[in-house]
Amino acid sequence: MIALVRLAVFGFLLLSVIYLLVSVYSRSVRREKLEDRWDENHPDTDDKQARAKFIEAGMRQYERGLRKKLIWLVYVIPMVIFVVTVYLVNYQ
Amino acid sequence: MSGYGWWIFWIVLIAVVAAVLHFKFPRGSRGRRRLKLAFWALLLLFVGAFLHYTLPQHDIVRVTNTYNRLTTIGENWMFYAAPDVGTAESGETRDIRFIETVRANNKVIVYRNEDTGWVWPPYFKYDSSNLQAEASNLKSSAADPQWVSVTHYGWRLPWLSIYPNAVRAKMVAGPDVRIIPWVNIIILTVLAFLIFMAWRMLAQFRERSIDPMLEDLDEASDAVQDRARGTWGRFTRWLGSWRSPPPR
Repeated sequence: MIALVRLAVFGFLLLSVIYLLVSVYSRSVRREKLEDRWDENHPDTDDKQARAKFIEAGMRQYERGLRKKLIWLVYVIPMVIFVVTVYLVNYQ
Repeated sequence: MSGYGWWIFWIVLIAVVAAVLHFKFPRGSRGRRRLKLAFWALLLLFVGAFLHYTLPQHDIVRVTNTYNRLTTIGENWMFYAAPDVGTAESGETRDIRFIETVRANNKVIVYRNEDTGWVWPPYFKYDSSNLQAEASNLKSSAADPQWVSVTHYGWRLPWLSIYPNAVRAKMVAGPDVRIIPWVNIIILTVLAFLIFMAWRMLAQFRERSIDPMLEDLDEASDAVQDRARGTWGRFTRWLGSWRSPPPR
C-alpha cells in the first residue's frame, strides 16, 4: 500500500514538472505565432506599441482558450493508462 | 562499501574518464568523432536492450508444469521483483512461482511468476496467484497439446539464473497463431512522439530564451572589450617586460 502512495506522490510531482514545461512551451509557441502573424500583416509599419498590444490581446485570449485547458491531459492520460494497464493485467 | 559509496564511486569514475577523454581527443579531431559515434552506438544499444527487456512479448507454448521453489537471490536481484512487493517477502531467499513450458520446436522456456509492484516495470501486476492457477489449469501433454500464448517481459539467461516474468496466459488455437503486438506498437509510437516533443521544446527554448540572451551577452562583452583593450594591452606589455631581458 505504501508503494502505491509513493507512486501517486512521485507520479504527481513528475507530471507537475511536465505540466509546467508543456505550458511554458505552449505559451512560447503561441506568442511566436502571434508575432509572426503581426509581422506578416503589417510588413511596413514599425509601430511597436500596436504590435505589443496585438500580442498581449492574443495571449489573453490564449489564457482563456481551449488549448490551455487541453494541457491538463498531461495528468489525465497517464491516469487512464494506469487504470487500463491494471485492468488488462489483473482482471482478464 | 555502502550503496551511496558505490554511487559516488561510479559518478567520480565516469567524471574522470570523461575528463581524460575530453583532453586526450580535442574537439574536431578524428578520435573525437569516433568517440562520439561509439557513445551514440552504446547509448542506442543500451536503450534497445532496456526496451527489449521491459516491453511485453508473446510466446506460444504448451504448459508442462507449475510449481514454486525457494530461490536465493544474489547479484541478479535487479532481474527479480523488488523486495517490498506482495510475492517477495525477503530480499535474499524467497518462494517464487515458476511456470515450465515447451515451445512448438520442442525448446523449453521457464517463466517466473512474480508481482511487479507499483513502480518498475510498470505492469502493476498483483494477481500472480490467479495467473499460477490459470497456468496450472492450462497444463497439457505432448499427445493432446493445448497451446497457450504467454505474455511476458524479461530474459531467460541461465548463467545469471534470471527468468522472464509471465504476465498473462491465454488459450490460442494452435502454435502458428500470429499475434500482432499492438501494445508495443502503441508504446513505441508514443515514445517516438515524446522524444520528438522534447526535442521541439528544447529547440523552442533555445530559440526564444537562450539565443537572445547570448546575443545580449555578446554585445555587452564586445563593449567591455573595446573599453578594456587599452588597459589589457598595457598589462600584457608589462608582463612581457618581466619575461625576457629588454632588447638592446
